Amino acid sequence: MRVEILATSLKSDPRLVYVILLLVITVPLLTHASVPVPITPTTLTLYQFIQNLPRNSLVVESFDYATSVVPELHPQAIIVTQHLFLRPLKILFVALDNNGPTLAEAVLDTVNKGNKTYGVDYANLGYIPNTATLIGMPSNIPQFLPLDTHGNPTATLPIIKEFPAIKLASLVITFDDDSSAAYSYIQYWEGQYKIPVAVGTTATLAPGFMPLYSSGQVVGVLFSVRAAAEYSTLVYQQYDCCLALSGASSTMVALSASNLLIVVMVVFANVAYFIGRRTSRGSNRT
Amino acid sequence: MTHGELGLQIIIFCLGFFYAIVYYIAVPGIVNLQAVSDQLLAYITAVLTAAFAIGVINLTRVHWINIKRKRATWRYSVILLLCLYSMLVVSVIASPFALDPNSVVIPASVIAFSTPIYNFLYYKILVNINSSIFSLLAFFIASAAYRAFKVRSLESTILLVAGLLVILGQAPISDLIWPGFSVIRDWILAFPNTAGQRGILIGAALGIVVFSVRRLIRYPW
Repeated sequence: MRVEILATSLKSDPRLVYVILLLVITVPLLTHASVPVPITPTTLTLYQFIQNLPRNSLVVESFDYATSVVPELHPQAIIVTQHLFLRPLKILFVALDNNGPTLAEAVLDTVNKGNKTYGVDYANLGYIPNTATLIGMPSNIPQFLPLDTHGNPTATLPIIKEFPAIKLASLVITFDDDSSAAYSYIQYWEGQYKIPVAVGTTATLAPGFMPLYSSGQVVGVLFSVRAAAEYSTLVYQQYDCCLALSGASSTMVALSASNLLIVVMVVFANVAYFIGRRTSRGSNRT
Repeated sequence: MTHGELGLQIIIFCLGFFYAIVYYIAVPGIVNLQAVSDQLLAYITAVLTAAFAIGVINLTRVHWINIKRKRATWRYSVILLLCLYSMLVVSVIASPFALDPNSVVIPASVIAFSTPIYNFLYYKILVNINSSIFSLLAFFIASAAYRAFKVRSLESTILLVAGLLVILGQAPISDLIWPGFSVIRDWILAFPNTAGQRGILIGAALGIVVFSVRRLIRYPW
């Protein structure tokens, strides 16, 4: 009966649920508790794909998320970018979201760029304003993005002289908060030019990319901040660095605790529901 | 249909058909169709960029009238216009969208002054406000899961069990409890989820094709 009363009061006033959730999230964050993160296949395949890219391959990183999902996608972007900088690769940064160029600059300020030089090994080409530009870039970058975010003519950058068209890219990674960017890359770059695509996205959207992952159209799917923690572990195992760079690993206990809390609450609500139903049936019989 | 509408429709049809040909068929010949396509796409970029300016002008007009006529929400309009134009000014001076990053026209001292303001507005205010609002979703999900996830029928039971197993598998700590949670989560995502998502994808793709063809030929007439 007590279970039933508690369940009813929680249903009518969810503030207790909010307080419990707040505690469950903040206490692990404040205490810096940590937990080992098992590596999922969707993260591992992307890591291995990048690890196996030949020297001087071109990788395009697309920042396609808004500021609202920075806690979820920014750690992914940081650690994947760091991995790219640790390897002898060329990197171009673009964005299909207008927040992307600024967030890409923030990521570039965070990672250790080693001995890589701007314009030679990497460049921030900025915002791709529309589908027309996206369709045109595989055949000619300077025509569609004439200036980089620093105001340099892209045609004069050594990296663009080496790779004047996106069709020469070996991988495009999109950090996408609404699926549209990933589908655009799959439609226009992967479909026509066979450029492999990888997706880093939020936990709610990631299952939607599994058909594309199964078919091989997407070479890796990063699930939320957890994938960033997994990726950090993989980079740490290989290069002995960067475990705490993205900050994702320190959120894993909070993530686990909040997930477990939701499971416990759903089970509790169902137990209360069954007790309530049995009680009402009993009272109907009498 | 007027003559003007008919002319417009013919242009839409020809351009749509032209892009379909260039996309699917490589036509060798005197005219490089891909180059023509690229040039047209560059024009589209210019037109769409102008559309952004129209958006800003429209927003300003609507909210300026709100303020002028002192409508009920005129104070919000003031805040909106202040935020819009202050962010616009610092963004065009000091951001990845800066008009003159190499300081050809705008003095370097102005750019140096504006950069910390832009960084503060963007990283300390915009990012934090938007992230906070999005984070509220966690509380609503917790509350909604508690209220709605009930074992009422066979279908809801399957949904509940699958949902709970994926939530458990997604929690990194679950592997310490039982490693099978991860295996089950991966299986649910790789098979039942993929099958369902494929159905949705194919349905949506067919819908897009039908809509595109209808738009090209302007059906119904």
